[in-house]
Amino acid sequence: MDRAERIGLGAAVVGHVVLFGLLSVGFLATPNPTELKPVPIDVSLVDEVGLEAQAPASIEPPATSIAPEAGPPEDAAPPEPEAAPDPEPQPEPEPAPPQPAPEPRPAPKPAPKAQPQPRRPAAAPKEKARPKAEPKPAPKAAAKAAPKAAPATKAQPKAAAAKGTGRDTAAKASRPRGSRLGDDFLKGLTDTPSESRAPNPPSAARIDARALAGIRDAIRRQIQPCADRQSTTGMPGANNIVTVLNLRLNRDGTLAGNPKMVRQTGISGENERYAQRVADLGIAAFRACTPLKLPAEFYQTANGGWSNINYNWQLR
Amino acid sequence: MEAAFVNTDAATLSPIALFLQADFIVKGVMLGLLLASIWTWAIIIGFRVKVGRTKKAIETFEGDYRRADDVDAFHRKHAESELPIARVFSAGVAEWRRSTAGKTIDREGTRERLATAMGAAVAAEIDRLGDRLNILATVGSVAPFVGLFGTVWGIMRSFTSIAAEQNSSLAVVAPGIAEALFATAIGLFAAIPAVIAYNRFAHAIDRIEARLNRFADGFHATLSRQLELA
Repeated sequence: MDRAERIGLGAAVVGHVVLFGLLSVGFLATPNPTELKPVPIDVSLVDEVGLEAQAPASIEPPATSIAPEAGPPEDAAPPEPEAAPDPEPQPEPEPAPPQPAPEPRPAPKPAPKAQPQPRRPAAAPKEKARPKAEPKPAPKAAAKAAPKAAPATKAQPKAAAAKGTGRDTAAKASRPRGSRLGDDFLKGLTDTPSESRAPNPPSAARIDARALAGIRDAIRRQIQPCADRQSTTGMPGANNIVTVLNLRLNRDGTLAGNPKMVRQTGISGENERYAQRVADLGIAAFRACTPLKLPAEFYQTANGGWSNINYNWQLR
Repeated sequence: MEAAFVNTDAATLSPIALFLQADFIVKGVMLGLLLASIWTWAIIIGFRVKVGRTKKAIETFEGDYRRADDVDAFHRKHAESELPIARVFSAGVAEWRRSTAGKTIDREGTRERLATAMGAAVAAEIDRLGDRLNILATVGSVAPFVGLFGTVWGIMRSFTSIAAEQNSSLAVVAPGIAEALFATAIGLFAAIPAVIAYNRFAHAIDRIEARLNRFADGFHATLSRQLELA
């Protein structure tokens, strides 16, 4: 090693030490600008198969107004003074079987009978749907009559008037004149909003062509993984064969029985020897990739569903 | 070259940190390549100094030789010189003296011996000059492979750690791959200057050899003329 090489060695060592020293103290270090943090992405699969009913949605009647309708004037309540002397004794409060024959009863006696009487008028406001011309004090008076036997006589005529047919000529005295609104037209209006019921599910869901196509799509999507795993090479023309498979499914999407081949189309001289193989592959795909997840509301509808469905199986 | 690393952590960019984290085999590879790099650069710097000095000396010597009237006086002046061209000159003069010492002079034989002696001197000087070039050639061709070996080993180790942790996230893989790639980087760091220097110095030595040969031919012609006068 001569002098020149000694110089070279010294310079090389110094140079390397300086270079690696600079790198070690981060001379060329680039700050890491992007944090390597995976940001999760929420993926939600939109259900392509929606509930569809062929029948028009049942029209929900609006919440019935409780105010009395401007009805025939004959329905107006009989006046109170008339009721008091009315000799007509208590009729049975049941509206359904009208009892034309009044049952004469002594005053003290109806005490036990009065008990069931007020119940009927009390129940009346519950059935709001039934439009009824009811005299204003009827429910109230009836409610009051409940504990007491004495006022029963008073309440009874009113209840009778509720189903009165207007044969009482005295009732005409309070017939509304000029205005068609009775003086009790606000009756029953409350400050709480009337409860309108939620729309019912369509009573009879029927499967239509679109829904059926959607279900076939859903089936195809779900068995595609199994179909993809199948080796279909070396079968020229086999893709042209369309096999109609009949599937019988349970409600949980499992097969109720082996899929059955209904028919096959697209068979030519070239591919006819693969026809059975194609059908077998289809059956195997269904056996491997069930249970299927299909919309439960279409399992069975009025005109069929996926409980028993034909599927066009084709190699792709 | 080292700046090209991708690291998840800026701290691991430091070569020392990378070296300390590495496997012992990768460590050995890195250490060897670092020594090779140092040795390469030592040879490059030393060679550059030597070749530059030699070229300058040859020019000076040729100028002096052309101006010199007396070859014997000129030889006495440069007898102890270590310069390659002076050695070639000395070899020619020595052979001339030995061949013309006797009573009878075999002119043809003397010419042949003069040519052979000076050619041998040139070859010896070139050998001496190009002594270290084979090291450059070796480093230039082998260092990338050694670095690659370290990288392959380190990446294999990274994959083993993936399997061990059952986690293929970048945070697990990246440090191991970075330190493995560091081995290749050092290999290239050593090899690239070595290859460049080898080609340049081989060319420089060729030129020096051609120059020495030209000088030897000229001196041979001078001595041959003297032989006919004698």
